Amino acid sequence: MSLLILGANSLIAQAAASHFAEAGHEIIFAGRKQDEPEKYANDFAIRYKCRTRAEYIDALDYPSHKKFVEDILAKTPELEYILIVFGYLGTQDKAQTDFTEAHRIIDTNFTGVVSVCELFAAEFESLKKGNIAVISSVAGDRGRQSNYMYGSAKGGLTVYLSGLRNRLFKSGVNVLTIKPGFVNTPMTYGMPLPKPLVASPEKVGKDIYKAMIKRKSVIYTPFYWRWIMFVITSIPEFLFKKLKL
Amino acid sequence: MKFEETELSGFGKYPKAKCKIAQPSGLFDISEILKKNSVIPRGLGRSYGDASLNVKGIVAETALMNRFISFDENKGIVKCEAGVTYKDLLDTFVIRGWFPAVTPGTKYVTMGGAIASDVHGKNHHKVGSISSFVSSFRLLTATGDIIECSRENNSGLFWATVGGMGLTGFILDCEIQLKKITSPYIFNKAIKLGNLDALFEKIEEYSDNYHYSVAWIDVVAKGSSYGRGILLLGNNAEINELPEKLKKRSQLKYIEKKIAVPFEIPFNTLNKLTVSLFNAGIYLTARNTEDFQHYDKYFYPLDFVLDWNHIYSKSGLIQYQLNVPLEKGKEAIDKVLKKVVSYGGGSFLAVIKKMGNQEGILSFPFEGYTLSMDFPVKKGTIEMCQQLDKIVMEYGGRTYLTKDSILDEKTFKHMYSGLWEKWMKIKMKYDPNNKFTSDLGRRIGLCLS
Repeated sequence: MSLLILGANSLIAQAAASHFAEAGHEIIFAGRKQDEPEKYANDFAIRYKCRTRAEYIDALDYPSHKKFVEDILAKTPELEYILIVFGYLGTQDKAQTDFTEAHRIIDTNFTGVVSVCELFAAEFESLKKGNIAVISSVAGDRGRQSNYMYGSAKGGLTVYLSGLRNRLFKSGVNVLTIKPGFVNTPMTYGMPLPKPLVASPEKVGKDIYKAMIKRKSVIYTPFYWRWIMFVITSIPEFLFKKLKL
Repeated sequence: MKFEETELSGFGKYPKAKCKIAQPSGLFDISEILKKNSVIPRGLGRSYGDASLNVKGIVAETALMNRFISFDENKGIVKCEAGVTYKDLLDTFVIRGWFPAVTPGTKYVTMGGAIASDVHGKNHHKVGSISSFVSSFRLLTATGDIIECSRENNSGLFWATVGGMGLTGFILDCEIQLKKITSPYIFNKAIKLGNLDALFEKIEEYSDNYHYSVAWIDVVAKGSSYGRGILLLGNNAEINELPEKLKKRSQLKYIEKKIAVPFEIPFNTLNKLTVSLFNAGIYLTARNTEDFQHYDKYFYPLDFVLDWNHIYSKSGLIQYQLNVPLEKGKEAIDKVLKKVVSYGGGSFLAVIKKMGNQEGILSFPFEGYTLSMDFPVKKGTIEMCQQLDKIVMEYGGRTYLTKDSILDEKTFKHMYSGLWEKWMKIKMKYDPNNKFTSDLGRRIGLCLS
């Protein structure tokens, strides 16, 4: 069977993929920068002796998605797992004054994912098989002033995935929503995060692998974020709006 | 490019300095950083002192540059990025019958770091250090050029970079020759020796016949047991010499177990009493044995305890490693040990090993004996090490830059006289404006700003 990763340079995706590779699956790395997917495909082929392939995709180039998906499906009849990890954190302050930034945040995290997801969903629906896993974020559970642009895009994504899961259930296609907390990746590098709450990409990757294999619906990773977010979403709005979060 | 500012140190946790760190993901990022800053590359920070610190510039970690590029299954030649670690090599290639031809005492070392330190292992007397197995590497130099270095091409830069402590440029990737093995086990022979004379005698007698040879020495023992120790010899075990149980295990994927010292122990656990007890304990419980040991236990016993340096509390440790010529080597080491005792210092772990020659200009090894000890940093430790430096210089020896945190420029240039001048010419040719700098480099005069 094959796993397709959209967003090849994600450390989280690579960590998850390492478990698929060890289990003997083919790994297809797709990413935006031409040479990067190839680099990872090479590395995995050597490290895990698995079949690998590199593909090119730009999340924001919507018209190209149809051909991309058709190509992948034609080349990969064994495609079983799709892990979509591309995203863009952006800068909240900048997004408030510069709509281009806000637009890019929303498009990369939401529109781009929807565009690709729908195409694969249609195919999997007719084949009556497949697993689609997408990285959303705990930031999408409630809007906060410090990153509501990113948060709202991820929040939209979470709702989208919930609907998609509902639709595909009867076709036997699983949709997994992944909500990581703070992870030690280039995206968060240099940020002043509370160290004990920062997980390694390896830990998060392993959680994702397990959840995909077990066909879960929604996971928080590490698990305790479910409780943290439960508390955060339980705060009444009249109080929440006064907080500096 | 994002930066993180934090207090940083080497593995010895001494000295510490506030550094600006970046994690470039490749050539493009490094070039960006180099435009405005001076840089020292850093792998996993396993050098002990300040070799990977750079208060006046950027510390560029190779954590994201850890990809295998190619592997020749028949010849055992691996090409990889500089951030690939010994652990990566072992996890990937042992099961396929290939082993690092030279390995340091921890697997948490990157290939870039290994080359920059020209690391040696228990088989240095037989095969030399890692550079003997590096066929080539690509170096990004201060001018932004990528230079392919090997024994044939740009050999000057090649020999200045192996053991060059990261000060000649940024190693992007390298090609390394692995060693063919038929099992992950090592035939291990331990010989208990009651005093220093016996120890040296047996090192001489046995080293030629064994691929791996190192002696643990009890630095604290006095009187007739002064210099007692255990000579540890080994050879890679062939699969057909193994007992059935190990033969079967050789085919399985190895899963390592680990424990951790979760936090810095707030007080110094290492004092004269605990060190004496520990060392006496090792000696008294040891027996003359012959057995087969898994490579992980044989080469990386300390990796079993994650962050073992935490036992040295906040003030850290100094690892002092010297090398003295064969002739009068025993005399020099005898003097050093006596000096250590006179300071009331004991070393938690001390090892002696016979070394061979090495071509890297600033490479630490040359034919002689090396002694390595570690001391908790406390009042008098630095003074003691400086006294040891004097003995080492008197006997024409030197200390290991990768472990160093105390040498001054004058002492360094004395120990490496004739060599640093040669190295400096190459540094000046490729990095005249000192784009590659480190705290170590500034301290011992290898970079001028």
